Amino acid sequence: MTNVDYAVDDDTIAVVEDTDLPRRLKDEVYETLEAREGATVEEANELAAAVETRYLNTRVDPLDPVGTVSAQSIGEPGTQLTMNTFHYAGVAEIDVTQGLPRLIELVDARKTPDTPMMTVYLEGEYATEREKAHEVVWNIEATQILALGDVSTNVADMRVQIALNEDTLEERMISAEEVAEIIEDSLGVKTIQQGSQIEFGPEEPSYRDLLQLVEELRDITFKGIEEVSRVVIRREELDNGNEEFVLYTEGSAFGDVLDIEGVDASRTTCNNIHEIHRNLGIEAAREAIIEETNNTLAEQGLDDVNVRHLMLVADMMSNRGEIESIGRHGISGSKESVLARAAFEVTVNHLLNAAIHGEVDDLDGVTENVIVGKPIKLGTGDVDLRMGSTSSGSSQAD
Amino acid sequence: MVDVSQHELVPEHTVLEEEALEEVLEEYDIDRTDLPKIKRTDAALPDDAELGDVIKIVRDSRTTDQSVVYRYVVE
Repeated sequence: MTNVDYAVDDDTIAVVEDTDLPRRLKDEVYETLEAREGATVEEANELAAAVETRYLNTRVDPLDPVGTVSAQSIGEPGTQLTMNTFHYAGVAEIDVTQGLPRLIELVDARKTPDTPMMTVYLEGEYATEREKAHEVVWNIEATQILALGDVSTNVADMRVQIALNEDTLEERMISAEEVAEIIEDSLGVKTIQQGSQIEFGPEEPSYRDLLQLVEELRDITFKGIEEVSRVVIRREELDNGNEEFVLYTEGSAFGDVLDIEGVDASRTTCNNIHEIHRNLGIEAAREAIIEETNNTLAEQGLDDVNVRHLMLVADMMSNRGEIESIGRHGISGSKESVLARAAFEVTVNHLLNAAIHGEVDDLDGVTENVIVGKPIKLGTGDVDLRMGSTSSGSSQAD
Repeated sequence: MVDVSQHELVPEHTVLEEEALEEVLEEYDIDRTDLPKIKRTDAALPDDAELGDVIKIVRDSRTTDQSVVYRYVVE
């Protein structure tokens, strides 16, 4: 017997569990029965049967054009989304693309989002102690030379001089020796390091080379992940009343972050679907598409779009084992039929190419048949009626 | 490397036995190549999965308790 956390008797449970309802609806039935204390088994049975009938009636019928319905159900609220590219919103003053641009970006399956970001959860004491959380921050946030000290150019001697700030070095857990080494490795110069002072210059005295070195020096990432330009720490309340530190990053490098010590690799996410696909596989990417599209709509107060529509979109995008965009470069572009592709975008190109390759259109799909004016294979259009072909024998139809 | 299967976005993946597969294909009246695909290089693929296998995936569904889907392993 399934475990039920509601105060109802065993007979009622048996009656409700016997229906074809999903868990979510069964729980709601229990909740209602519980609220109406003293409902008899007969009443419970009646209620459960009514809910079940209603549930079975609202399921999708065979040959229903679910895709078209989804397109309209997402499209209509889509007209109410903000067309502004983005503004500061959401969590911790991190700039995130929202509204229509974000939705377009998702269904287009862009390689990188406009504003990549990660939500990094921490584990153990990293999540509860600010000091420890900061350690993780320094391992994620890219540290450039200007954050570590002052850089000056001595034109007379053709030298670049760096005065490192010792407090910052200690805080970010990097030594002056390490800094000097990284400079040598990435710029290919000899450095002289004394205490917190580092000095180097071009091999041949050249004003241009000197400036070039300074320029390159500024781009070196000394610590952290190059792609992540900023990390914000926030203290968030958990369901059980405790608090934990959560990091929000501007820029993302999902794979790298998962490997960092202190990062909770079971909850950390990012808003780049391709990165999720690469690191967690296609199923996680599908889940992320649903989550992201749903959040984008919910953010704008359009959360009454049924999640099934978004699930259908995500299913289509992940059907071939990799993320495909909706549209001419993805799903619509890989349709079998020439006419269906031509009807979508860049009509002439498709017709021309089809003519060159001698393509044949079997007129199996919906779009093609709308074009040539035949009934489409959807709804009643896919049902054939035949008269009297298999009557029970006694009365032959003529 | 982190254990991908521990991530909350990743549902349970298992390789489907040949017999169970027959039943599934019969129920839907389809060929195994008609199933949705999963790449052989997919991060969440079980170690013992090979090309041509069918993976059974049990998702925590948003609309029912759990939903079972199948994916065919491709190159």
